[in-house]
Amino acid sequence: MESGAGERSSQYSEMDDYESLISTTDAELLKRAWQNEKAAPQILRFEAALVQRSREQIQLMEETVEEYTRNGSDPLTVSLYQMDLDRTLFLLRSYLRTRLQKIEKYMFHIQKTTELWNRLSRPEQKFMGRCIEDMEQHLDQSVLSKLPSSYKSHLKQSSSSEEDDMVPEPQLDTYVICRSNRFLGAFQLDDSGEETVNIEADDLYALPYKSIKPLVETGQIDLV
Amino acid sequence: MYGKKGSELVRELASSEPGQLSAFNNDLFAQVIEECTGHLLHLGPLIRKIEQIKKIEEVKKLNNQELEESDKATLKAHNSGALVHHLSLLRNKRCLMAYVYNRAEAIRSLGWAIDRVLPEEIEEKLSSSEKEYFKNHAASLQSYMSELDLDLAVDMVPPKDPYIKVRVLEDIGNVVLSDQSANLACHAILFLRRTDAEHYISQGLMEELNG
Amino acid sequence: MAGQSDAQASTFSAAELEFLAEDELIEIVPNLRMDPLNLICGDFGPFRPQIATQVPIWLAVALKKRGKCAIRPPDWMSVEKLTQVLEAERDAEKFQPLPFHYVEISRLLFDHARDDIPDIYMVRSLIEDIKDVRFHKIGTGLEIISKERTYALRLKNLSAMEANIVRPFVTRALETFYKLSSPDMIQDSDSVQNRQHQTVNRGPRRQLKDR
Repeated sequence: MESGAGERSSQYSEMDDYESLISTTDAELLKRAWQNEKAAPQILRFEAALVQRSREQIQLMEETVEEYTRNGSDPLTVSLYQMDLDRTLFLLRSYLRTRLQKIEKYMFHIQKTTELWNRLSRPEQKFMGRCIEDMEQHLDQSVLSKLPSSYKSHLKQSSSSEEDDMVPEPQLDTYVICRSNRFLGAFQLDDSGEETVNIEADDLYALPYKSIKPLVETGQIDLV
Repeated sequence: MYGKKGSELVRELASSEPGQLSAFNNDLFAQVIEECTGHLLHLGPLIRKIEQIKKIEEVKKLNNQELEESDKATLKAHNSGALVHHLSLLRNKRCLMAYVYNRAEAIRSLGWAIDRVLPEEIEEKLSSSEKEYFKNHAASLQSYMSELDLDLAVDMVPPKDPYIKVRVLEDIGNVVLSDQSANLACHAILFLRRTDAEHYISQGLMEELNG
Repeated sequence: MAGQSDAQASTFSAAELEFLAEDELIEIVPNLRMDPLNLICGDFGPFRPQIATQVPIWLAVALKKRGKCAIRPPDWMSVEKLTQVLEAERDAEKFQPLPFHYVEISRLLFDHARDDIPDIYMVRSLIEDIKDVRFHKIGTGLEIISKERTYALRLKNLSAMEANIVRPFVTRALETFYKLSSPDMIQDSDSVQNRQHQTVNRGPRRQLKDR
């Protein structure tokens, strides 16, 4: 039985090689960006170049489908191209949507955290600006305008709060499930350097997001 | 008891299904606001009295004297009183904010599910500020999407094969469909876009075949 | 509350997992002649009758639905291989290696390519059994690889669907351990409590300051 399992895993590693060979397609990269964005508690860097390229490919494919339809090409081929197009469009839309939802949820936190603010695209920044106006107006009309003067802030509980203590922020010590497609070796779990875990290729791990944050941000590990 | 109504408000929020909106509880909400105003009415005089005693204390300090025992006791009592009102106010504020903020989240997610116009049965559950918020937020979303030139309110779930297998039940003849022109002769079996086939199916001119 | 909704948002829906699985490659034997497809997700074909070629599962299923190919079930889906896996799965505490999307892939093929799978009833029931056995040992088959200060868990050979199922439970349990073991737990326990009950606020309680 042991040998059987061994044989199987070598088979998979061949598949993995093949996978990594084709993993350079933008469709694959977009899929990973989508998965990471969905699973990370915090907003990640906007994949500007990737989104740009994906949109170009989508447009090209839309033109191709149109042209094939016009000149009466084989309907089967057209429908297969259309399905490929639909899949890519779904990924792109869902990726952008996931980001918007995070922006809406943590707008006040992103607003005061330059590092996060810089992760947004221009249109996202504009969108967030408007979201903040909308929300401030709503909170003000519903609650804050009716409270005593030193309790009117939506960021602080009262004017005696030293820091913003009413801003919802993502919990970075939340656990995520992640996988690396290559061996990363001993990896430090916390700042003390006392705790390390071995991260093997293709194994799943449940780890605090905080500890693998840099690996996610540099694309060395993927969230699933 | 201070803060009880505020916590009722939050409990109401917590007991509803995630994403589901119950009617905005105007009465309870107004009562909590009223409680906040009440706290301020207590807080103001207390703080003024505390400041008065503190002034006396400062003057006494300059003369190397201490506050009278009775003044010390009053100061302590007023401080505690002010603290109770302040903390109760904070608690109520947090309850009010949590109520509005969490409902706003649910209102935003409605924006994805429906097309910019709220159905009546939902609209009547919202406060006037919430209705305005829904409109404003939908407009913000819309302007983001038009800047991108991409509609994000479609494709909410992964796509499936957009084509379905149908059998033509009556002679329909040659038609131009969204992606092909086809001869829809009786008994013909072909793959059409679901969107093209749907109105023929609803008229009974076609049937969908499975498998 | 905030933690809860986070966990929900990060979980993939069943449809999304299936979408991901549909990108896995599978071998088909076409019965038509078709030029290579230059898709956004990659180049596939050319397609020649009786010449096996690899395509993503969604493409294989689309061709199969239109009667244009036979799908070759992957090696691991044979009765022989699955019987071995099932036995090993029962004997060992650890999870046996299976493709990450074995649940979704097998379901897609059962739905769309039943005539291409030899002994389909046997295969289907073996996979059901394997799923069951694996599910019941989720408690024992996960390996704690660190528990000094930070808990870490290795989910070796867990599949996508299984990971998705255990995600809320495992992450919540680990978060609790993490909080209990954190050195500032004692003085911070108050605010941890607050955090769980209040959505908007997450700061520690503040004393009224003297003015």
